[in-house]
Amino acid sequence: MNRYPPKKTGNGVRNALLGFTAASLMAVGSAASAGVIEVGVSLRMKTETGEKYGQMVVDEFEAINAAGGVNGHTIEVKLLNDECKSDIGVANATKFAYQDNVHLFIGSSCSSVSLPIVDVLHKARVPMLIPHSTNYKITLKGSPWVFRVPISSRFSAAAAAKYTAENIGTKIAYIWASDAASQADAQKFYEYIETYHGEPPVYAEQFQEGELDLRAHLVKIKALKPEALMISAQSQDFARGLVQSYEVGIPPSVKRIGGSAASNRPAPILSGDAIKGVFFHAAFSYADPDPKVQEFVKMTADRYGVANPDHDFSQAWDSVHVARTAFERANLALTDDSLAADRAAIRDALGTVTGYVTLGGGVVDFCADPTPECRDGNKTPVLIEYTKGGEDYELRVIGKTTFDADFGLAGMEEEAMKLRESLDN
Amino acid sequence: MDLLLDFVIVGVSIGIVYGLVALGISLIFSGLDIVHFAHGELYMIGSFLGIAVIAFTGVPYFWALIGAMIITGALGVVIERVFYRRLTRGGGGYTVAGMGMIICGFGMSVALQNVAYLLWGAAPHPYPVTFGMPIFLGNIALPKSYLYILVCALVLMTVLHTFLTRTRLGLAVRAVAYNKDTSYLMGVNVPVMISLIFGVACAMAAAAGVLIGPINYVQIEMGYLMLLKAFAAAVVGGFGSLPGALLGGIVVGLFETLCAGYLIASYKDIYAFLLLIVVLMVRPTGLLGILVKVKA
Repeated sequence: MNRYPPKKTGNGVRNALLGFTAASLMAVGSAASAGVIEVGVSLRMKTETGEKYGQMVVDEFEAINAAGGVNGHTIEVKLLNDECKSDIGVANATKFAYQDNVHLFIGSSCSSVSLPIVDVLHKARVPMLIPHSTNYKITLKGSPWVFRVPISSRFSAAAAAKYTAENIGTKIAYIWASDAASQADAQKFYEYIETYHGEPPVYAEQFQEGELDLRAHLVKIKALKPEALMISAQSQDFARGLVQSYEVGIPPSVKRIGGSAASNRPAPILSGDAIKGVFFHAAFSYADPDPKVQEFVKMTADRYGVANPDHDFSQAWDSVHVARTAFERANLALTDDSLAADRAAIRDALGTVTGYVTLGGGVVDFCADPTPECRDGNKTPVLIEYTKGGEDYELRVIGKTTFDADFGLAGMEEEAMKLRESLDN
Repeated sequence: MDLLLDFVIVGVSIGIVYGLVALGISLIFSGLDIVHFAHGELYMIGSFLGIAVIAFTGVPYFWALIGAMIITGALGVVIERVFYRRLTRGGGGYTVAGMGMIICGFGMSVALQNVAYLLWGAAPHPYPVTFGMPIFLGNIALPKSYLYILVCALVLMTVLHTFLTRTRLGLAVRAVAYNKDTSYLMGVNVPVMISLIFGVACAMAAAAGVLIGPINYVQIEMGYLMLLKAFAAAVVGGFGSLPGALLGGIVVGLFETLCAGYLIASYKDIYAFLLLIVVLMVRPTGLLGILVKVKA
């Protein structure tokens, strides 16, 4: 028979026991659902600048953990240097995919490295978030696992080409380095000029990455008297070409144009005064007066001693926060058995990221289809001009323009098909 | 015609730098009977030292050149005394050191590159020197840095030639290069002469590194391609011949620049080695006809 009213003391003990049991069960439940999101990062960290933005990526994820993590989960980051070499990048990605069992791969900086990694991670079914690589072929391959934060060369080179044609001229000489990003920048630039202005290149030649002496090209270009000279190369090769273009006597009236890598910090430092007046396309300028940009610049100056961060810094930061958005939206179990499902959940969550405003002002819009329209997130290149070279270089923003998602894809169906075939082989 | 002159200026300027590095390689070959595969790294270290001298002392570029030559020369002596000397002793003497010395040269190349990495990092460094805009002679541009290279190289060659032909020490060096055993019996201190040869050769490499600095920038990987081109220059000029090394450098520089200018510029590096193969096939002793020694 039930006793009524119940004894208070007995109830107290029972309630205490029930409370303890419930708390224990909640704690166990919490421990079961909280896990670790493994993130593998592979970047070009050959220089001090690279090391600093690599460290910034780690620090940003640690700051997210310090603020309570994502849905109770913590993020563990493994950072590797691929030195902008495709063999090292592929080895890093393979290690992350099969040995470290990462849930998300962030990398790489160089298109030549990201291109082969796409194939590796497509087969391993690991989502890949690209922070820096711009070559249009990366997303044209059509892997459902690939998402790009930076601006594809099909947008950025076209923006620079349009500006050149309208403000400088269409008689342009091009030299470009053999890396994938530089090739794509130059190719998309002269394709735009040819298509929309009917002017073929005055001179168009490729040189080897790391080539010490570009003067044979430049002497020939000098004799052809172009209106502009595009040197599309990684920052070191770009700086060398730029300085040597003055040495061989190409007059200052010939406008010098850089590719996306001209924005990287070593370019103005190595070029010195030769870089003054050079313009290029990028995703971000530290000279942007937007308070959000200036807050970021203050952060890099205070934490990393970099008072004029380039777009490699800003895009690395954006990539971390795009990843965080995806982690927040993904339903993750994070057990040993759920690895494949968690990777797929992060991929699907990345596909829902829209309206993310980058530090450069462009908006990242992803969607689910594995097409360039869906996976080239940012479509707003910024045109920037150097007004001073050296360590304390200065920039001015010429302008920004936003492209439609399908811009530059017309006529690329055959190339896309070939790339997709190679991906599936 | 203007285009041709432009190509000639570019070719000669880079050729002289090849020649200076080749000079050191030839000097070491004639003195120590080895092909020194770490010479590209001494060229690189010399170039970095030039920047360091300017940074620490604030002296003008010319004195940085002299400073870098002295320090790199001393470094060369240390390397020879501490590492190579032991190896040659262990191998039974300079003339029979053979493969061990070649492998040690490769090892030294890697070691020096890593030392440079620790000291200066992987990032390229610009040379803190500006020569301003080139001198224009009509349509032809003559950069002041090229004139500097030309004048310095000629002065260095003259000093080296005078040292080797007009001094007792130079005579001793030449005697050691010709025959070590006979030189020893004649009272020449062979080990000291070999250290001297090594030091002078490394100083020449440093001079090349400092002279190329303002045209290029300095980074730890810069020695590899320069070493290959300098080998080509030394072989084309005649391995072991000092005037031949400089001549070979200029020929290689001119040949690759003219081919790049009038054929396809993208294949510039191939032309130098194509010339090397042709010279080896047609005239294996090189342009100045020095007999190539067969080493152990």
